[in-house]
Amino acid sequence: MSKVYVVYGLIVIGLMGTAQYRGWRLMPVNETRTVPKSVRDNPGSYRPVYGGFWHVSGGK
Amino acid sequence: MPDGTGRPRAAVQAVNCPNCGAATAVRTFGHAVNVVCQSCRSILDAKDPGVTILQKYKEAVPVDPLIPLGTRGTIPGWQPAFEVVGFQVRQILVDEVAYRWREYLLFNPYHGFRYLTEYGGHWNVVATLRSLPDGDHLPGDSGIRTYQGQDYRHFQTATATTVFVLGEFPWQVRVGDQVAVVDYVAPSQLLSAEVNADKEVTWSLGVYAKGKDIWSGLSMPGQPPVVEGVFADQPSPYQGVSGRMWRQAALLMALAAIVWIAHLFTARQQQAFRQALVYNPPSTQDASLVTPVFELDGRASAVQVETASNLANQWMDVGYALINNDTGQAFEFAEDLSYYNGVDGGEAWSEGSPAASFTLPSVPAGRYFLRIEPEGERTGKPVGYTVTVVRDVATSVWFLGALMLIVLPPLMTSFRAAAFERRRWQESDHATGKSSDTDKDDDDE
Amino acid sequence: MTKASGSCPNCGAPLEYRWSSSVQTVCEYCQSLVVRTDVDLKKVGVVADLPLDASPIQLLTEGHYGDKHFIVAGRILYEYEHGTWNEWHIVLDGGRDGWLSDAQNEFAVSFPVEVSNLPSPEQATLGRSFSWNNTRFTVVSRTRAHYAGVEGELPFEYWDKTDVTFVDLRSARMDFATLDYSDDTPVLYIGTLVDFDELRLTNVRTFEGW
Repeated sequence: MSKVYVVYGLIVIGLMGTAQYRGWRLMPVNETRTVPKSVRDNPGSYRPVYGGFWHVSGGK
Repeated sequence: MPDGTGRPRAAVQAVNCPNCGAATAVRTFGHAVNVVCQSCRSILDAKDPGVTILQKYKEAVPVDPLIPLGTRGTIPGWQPAFEVVGFQVRQILVDEVAYRWREYLLFNPYHGFRYLTEYGGHWNVVATLRSLPDGDHLPGDSGIRTYQGQDYRHFQTATATTVFVLGEFPWQVRVGDQVAVVDYVAPSQLLSAEVNADKEVTWSLGVYAKGKDIWSGLSMPGQPPVVEGVFADQPSPYQGVSGRMWRQAALLMALAAIVWIAHLFTARQQQAFRQALVYNPPSTQDASLVTPVFELDGRASAVQVETASNLANQWMDVGYALINNDTGQAFEFAEDLSYYNGVDGGEAWSEGSPAASFTLPSVPAGRYFLRIEPEGERTGKPVGYTVTVVRDVATSVWFLGALMLIVLPPLMTSFRAAAFERRRWQESDHATGKSSDTDKDDDDE
Repeated sequence: MTKASGSCPNCGAPLEYRWSSSVQTVCEYCQSLVVRTDVDLKKVGVVADLPLDASPIQLLTEGHYGDKHFIVAGRILYEYEHGTWNEWHIVLDGGRDGWLSDAQNEFAVSFPVEVSNLPSPEQATLGRSFSWNNTRFTVVSRTRAHYAGVEGELPFEYWDKTDVTFVDLRSARMDFATLDYSDDTPVLYIGTLVDFDELRLTNVRTFEGW
């Protein structure tokens, strides 16, 4: 029974190390999409996904 | 005539009941003092069965022993074979509720007597003690008794009444007999004392056994009775497991800390881009802009975008998109900044923060730029702000998460072990938080 | 004392004392109790058939107490309110006498011990403790018993049927003691409780079906 626990703990640590290394985030930032190159010429034409800003309370 | 070198083999006897005439086997070769007629259940004097009826049954509800009289086999913890020769049902009253358990008397002509007790599917293999527990010869009704170096905690003191008997016994038995019983436990053992009217104390020690082990030793058909609840000396399935898991948890947490510290040291935290910008709210032109292209190198890793402003009693929302110049892939996020401060009656106060940062996960290597769109109060002052992009930042959130996950199983096990012990002691004289107590408190208010 | 073999004073049959310490024996042919004195063999009574009893030990059973071998020479069967028990007279290699008591297959071996100032029957109450041989003994039972029969050879004369008091004591370990108030002067026996297996008995009694 406790062998299962040790294996579980090692998996947790493995995932932790990978997440730190690869820069994973706990809750996915689901905001990725492809934008056309024209945005550099006309930044105003770009519309964010959500109508307003996707508000995240700022702060470190 | 025997010359002392060999008496005739002791023979099994049978007695005829003077009440109903039925024949009942006597299996203990002269030990039996009382024998119960297997037909009418009168208690007969085994030494003089033809004449003396010691007690007659009136209306007792007959009980069929699960293990029939005459069953022979081995019992857990003892090597010789034993035969079931007697059976009784006894009960105690707790808060006017009767709790009944069953006892089987076992016999071997060389090794003497043992007992099997059964309650709620829980079995104990019992033998009378020959040496004494430390301390007073009378059992108390609380505290701890020590026997052969092992401490036993008081579990219950009660008066046991005999309600049914069958078979034969090497002592006098009567339905209705009462004896004080005091139990002490050290799972998986039960130290018991019975005190009779003459204050003679008989100590015995029971060892917990599983029904299936009893059944296999005695070659019993079918299944043993189903287990219900937790019994006084039932060993905890969590015994030792908790301590072991916590020790393993400590090692795992140390390992996690090492991996985390290695991460802190190897995260490059490299500044990939910085630009100072100004946002002018009253301006009607579209405030969105794009930055020059910059490089995010190395493996896919976290990118932190810091916004540091000189906001003073104003708010500013900044919408960001980190866009891959080659693939067009965009990561969107926003920061709501606000900062207000002042002096109120001599005390300085402030609210909010003029700076913020956001971490984007797993951004692949490549050439990127930021599209920035600030928004603020129309009537606000111009705000200067600096945007800094840091590649391969260190983070502690995964380490904290791993610690929690590592601690969770031993914590759950400790809770389960404690819950098991609560269930055990709920049946004792020392149950915690009896509901009747709380009711009483409510009434008193 | 008279020699080891002679004739039964009652019926004339050959009579033998196997063990030099024995004082009393039973004539196998006429059931007379015969006691030997310095001068002669004397009949002192007749012993009735022993009541049905269940001891797995019999005369000439052999066994071990620790590393010492012994043989069973005789017995006294006692009867009390709740039943019977046996005191088997054992003779160890080397001639020492002892007693193997068998009470419902709970066995103990003990030897008479010279101790002064033994308590009277009234003083040896339940739960009271005494210290002998550096061991603390507590009284666990008091029994009024009388002899119900004898068999074989005994180291003293014993066949009286009047009730006498026995006080049993135990310790926190496996020590065992008995205060025997049969005579005017109490006798103390000290020994240990033993398991059936520890005795390593041979030539035991057989039981039908076992």
